[in-house]
Amino acid sequence: MAGLRAWRALPARLGLRARITFTFAATTALLSALMAGATFGLTRENLVNQREASATRQARQNAETIAQQVDANPVDELIREAMGELGTPTSSRPIVEVRDGDGWRPIPLRPTTGAEAIPDELRATVADGVPARMITDVGGDPELVVGIPINDDAAAYYEVVSFGEVQDTLRSLAASLLAASVITTLVGGTLGYWLSRRTLRPLSNVGLAAEAIAGGRLDTRLEGTEDPDLNVLVTSFNHMAQALEERIDRDGRFASDVSHELRSPLMTLAASVSVLATRREEMPDDASRSAVDLMEADMARFQQLVDDLLEISRFDAGVARLSLEEVRLPELVRQAVSQRRAEKPPAIEVDADLAGMLVRADKRRLVRILDNLLGNAEAYGGGAERVAVEAAGDSVLIAVEDGGPGVSEENRERIFDRFSRGGGAGRRSGGGDGVGLGLALVAEHARLHGGRVWVEDRPDGRSGARFVVQLPVGRA
Amino acid sequence: MRHDAGVATRILTVEDDERIRTAVKLALEDEGWKVDEADTGEAALERFSQSPSDVVLIDIMLPGVDGFEVCRSIRRLSDVPIIMVTARDDTHDIVAGLEAGADDYLTKPFAPKELSARIRALLRRVRTTDSGATHLRFGDLEIVPEEGVVRRGGDEVHLTKTEFRLLLELANSPGRVLSREVLLERVWGHGYFADGRLVDVHVRRLRTKVEADPANPRHVVTVRGLGYKLQT
Repeated sequence: MAGLRAWRALPARLGLRARITFTFAATTALLSALMAGATFGLTRENLVNQREASATRQARQNAETIAQQVDANPVDELIREAMGELGTPTSSRPIVEVRDGDGWRPIPLRPTTGAEAIPDELRATVADGVPARMITDVGGDPELVVGIPINDDAAAYYEVVSFGEVQDTLRSLAASLLAASVITTLVGGTLGYWLSRRTLRPLSNVGLAAEAIAGGRLDTRLEGTEDPDLNVLVTSFNHMAQALEERIDRDGRFASDVSHELRSPLMTLAASVSVLATRREEMPDDASRSAVDLMEADMARFQQLVDDLLEISRFDAGVARLSLEEVRLPELVRQAVSQRRAEKPPAIEVDADLAGMLVRADKRRLVRILDNLLGNAEAYGGGAERVAVEAAGDSVLIAVEDGGPGVSEENRERIFDRFSRGGGAGRRSGGGDGVGLGLALVAEHARLHGGRVWVEDRPDGRSGARFVVQLPVGRA
Repeated sequence: MRHDAGVATRILTVEDDERIRTAVKLALEDEGWKVDEADTGEAALERFSQSPSDVVLIDIMLPGVDGFEVCRSIRRLSDVPIIMVTARDDTHDIVAGLEAGADDYLTKPFAPKELSARIRALLRRVRTTDSGATHLRFGDLEIVPEEGVVRRGGDEVHLTKTEFRLLLELANSPGRVLSREVLLERVWGHGYFADGRLVDVHVRRLRTKVEADPANPRHVVTVRGLGYKLQT
């Protein structure tokens, strides 16, 4: 339980995947360390025991050989010679001690190994005629000292055996075990990562599906699974997606229902007003004629407003779709400009390499974009002065520049909001025609094409606004 | 044609909303046309079979027999120009209406001036050839502009007025590519911004009549990104 709590206490920001990976790595690290420790301990004991046994056996044989020499002729030089003939490896150093009065006289084979290597306890035991062995640790190097009495305590044979080889073996074993532990831990971590990915795949699928739905692909659903635990998630997600799709569908239908409801009376009004307008000259007084003029003018505005509202409701309902066709952009711009029949039409400038360019775009929406920008320039900027089509990497920029007061920094975002009339210093001159949806629709149309719109200062430094529509149009 | 002979042009409006019907009738009568009215598809078909009109205006949102069906039924009887009225600029409705045989469409609410301009364009006399030639030949296709007759392999092909005008426009510029915009202007009297699908659907319909294999047209060919042309 404590482990579980600790697992939960891992920083949440690590994420589930990281936590699973970490847990796997930690568990394998712990297990492999235990295994390595046990292996090392057992091996070490085994090796030391073996070494002790073989060293003792060897020492007994050597002691017998030396005993014969001591028996025959106990002269130091001859005893040393006999020791030299034993052929002990360099790791074993024989010493013979001969009783000399109350003490012992050491006869080392090599001058480097003195009597000091033999612990007093061992010497006492051997002096009593009992063979013994002992592990000493002089200067951090463990050594085995075997002592065997010779000729009824007249002398003693000692052999100091180094554990160096065993030590080396143990060191390389330790290195191997450590390496194995590290590799095991890495494998454990990798396994944990892979498993966490596998386990979490359904979750990331949910994420992808949610993103797809948010991006407008409303019919996105998760595939069913046989796993009962996951099926709950899949089923409820799909229910949610279904409900969302139906809701958006309803909104879309609402827009078209509204369209029918609004358009029918508007149709009657438009036809009736036109019948009245035809008879304008026959009207008896100025008031009637003015009323007819007003009706006719606002009829057009009303129609535009209803059209714009319906258009924007289609964007809101997510039912707006591009109807792509091949469009000659420069020609479209020229036509859109000439259609406005402005008193002073703007100059049209097209980048040379774009002159004959065909792009895949929604012609109707491009025309709306241009018409709304030109209308905005007329309403608030004294009319467009320059319309430019420029290349910018993979995009095309359509810029409409006017000679008005421009748009102040703080209004450059707000101006594209719905019903934000005019911009800059309050209402610009000539206002009143804008219904406040024009620029919002420009932004929506551009977005639907994968582009955007913004407003900036004129690059030539003169007063006026420059509206730029960037469209990442694929060349046809 | 009747309006040339001093008899008033007759227009049949099929619309279930009485107020719209009345207002449109008043506006059309101001143009000097005679207007017949029908409030359902059934009434429209009965009326049309009794006394054919010169132009039919059909609202696709009709109770009972819908506008598409009325359009198809009238098309079976006559090549009279038909204008569909839709309440929404729904791509599906518009293409379906054109495929049902409509010559043109308008989206509600439209300006009555726009409607009368469309009607006048559809009633225009077929323009004779620029060259004054009486017979135009494109392989097995023969066009006689004066008589308004088209023959394929000697057999007469029945075209609507709009289809005939479209074919004739292409025939007047043999081998040259005409853009949709140009065709919209010359055949329908529309401006640059009109709906290119009008041309596409009519070309499709024309092909089913003048091509041996409409899926692989030999005469009316598409030039990608540019438009259409007629060849032998």
